Amino acid sequence: MLQNEQEYIRILKNRLEGTLPAEDLEDLLSDYREHFRLGKADGRSEDELFCSLGSPEDVAKEIRATHLVKKAEHTCSCRNIFHAVVATLGLGLFNLVFVLVPFIILVVMLLVIFLVGVAFSLFGPAAFVYAILQLLGFPSFSIWLSPVAGIFLSVGITAVGFLLVIGDFYLARFFYRMGISYLKWNIQMITGTVHTE
Amino acid sequence: MEYSNDYRDGAYGMSADMPNDGKKYCIKGFLSGSGTTPTRIILWLVAIAIVSFAIGFGILAVSGGFSPGMAHPNSPFTHTAWIASNTTDFPLGGATSGNISVTMGAGEITLNGGARDNILMEATVFSKSPEWQPDFSSTLDNTTKTVRMTDKGHTGKAWFAVDSPNSWEIRLTDNVPVSLDVNIGAGDCQLNLGSVNLHNLNVHSGAGDTGIDLGRYRGGRFDATITKGIGDLTLKVPGSGNTRITVHQGVGDITGSGFTQNNGAYVTPGFNPALPVNEIAVKQGVGSVLLEMV
Repeated sequence: MLQNEQEYIRILKNRLEGTLPAEDLEDLLSDYREHFRLGKADGRSEDELFCSLGSPEDVAKEIRATHLVKKAEHTCSCRNIFHAVVATLGLGLFNLVFVLVPFIILVVMLLVIFLVGVAFSLFGPAAFVYAILQLLGFPSFSIWLSPVAGIFLSVGITAVGFLLVIGDFYLARFFYRMGISYLKWNIQMITGTVHTE
Repeated sequence: MEYSNDYRDGAYGMSADMPNDGKKYCIKGFLSGSGTTPTRIILWLVAIAIVSFAIGFGILAVSGGFSPGMAHPNSPFTHTAWIASNTTDFPLGGATSGNISVTMGAGEITLNGGARDNILMEATVFSKSPEWQPDFSSTLDNTTKTVRMTDKGHTGKAWFAVDSPNSWEIRLTDNVPVSLDVNIGAGDCQLNLGSVNLHNLNVHSGAGDTGIDLGRYRGGRFDATITKGIGDLTLKVPGSGNTRITVHQGVGDITGSGFTQNNGAYVTPGFNPALPVNEIAVKQGVGSVLLEMV
């Protein structure tokens, strides 16, 4: 059980050190100190102020999640989105279903598309070589019903492979933006607050 | 460093604070610098894919590459493309004639001439299971070499046998006369014997389509008996040969373009019974018979 304002601030600081930049953390803690000062000036007790703010652990989780989502929004990277998702998971157990599961599904889907694209991109040229060899009369390379058709089809397969890889990149970017929006909405729903930049 | 989301400028989301993030935009920047946008590349790839597939499948469709009898009729690959094969050779060993017997329970047989020099028969088996490899036997009796290739039967697990291909590709010698006996219980059979020197030909097929191509046949006189239960038969014979085809059929159509009828039999133009005659007897239960002159 919290003893006083100093302990509240200390817990908040411990939880957020390393996540927020030092300057932003100090500003945040100053805001909370000011909140306590004004609350006490209005005649409210520390317990009342603790209840109105919520536990420092929960406050820190919310601030951390918001900050990491904002960071991921400004700087696109796999690491940032991963940190944002993990931070959001900490806001509630149900986020294991509503955040983690969709995230895993999307990652797996993008990975599968990428691997299929790479496979097509590699298979296409190999099949092209097989078609040429089949045309030259090497029976052990006879994979095509028609080697002439195989030449064109292998070019098409290679093109599809490249398209899948490129498309996967754009799909990842699209889902990244959608993911950020979803995480922000998720945080808003959980905390009941609207964060604006 | 300016922030821009214009593809033509070649920079998107570049940030001086995070120089490493710019690395993944290198490709886009390079392409933009060379006058090629990602959109243009994608459109080119789409166009190439569509045109290539259209031409490829068009060639297959026009050339009759798609067989409705295949398990995957729309596949451009041979059905044995991804199956490990093994080939067994039978040298002539000094023989001046050959007896070939091929017996298959169920599967596909493709038989051609053009085996390598001094080889009587080359048998390539495409099968997923080593248990389904056929039995071979070979004997040499004076000047005649006899080779038997017999299907042992599919004794493997039922789940493995379902839809598993069993395909034999056989090449025969063109250099010595050959008596050929082909028995297939169920499945398609394609015999391209134009280059083979036949002495006798017997084909027995229970169910399945059979194609016998004797186009460009230049070998000696032969007798052939083709017995089929159910399935279509396509028989091609050279118009320059002296060939008589008799057909006994239960149910089905008989089409013989270019042949003339002689006492109920189909004969090639210029048929002369006084000369050596290639006699072909066809007995078919159910199915169409297509006789072609090539």
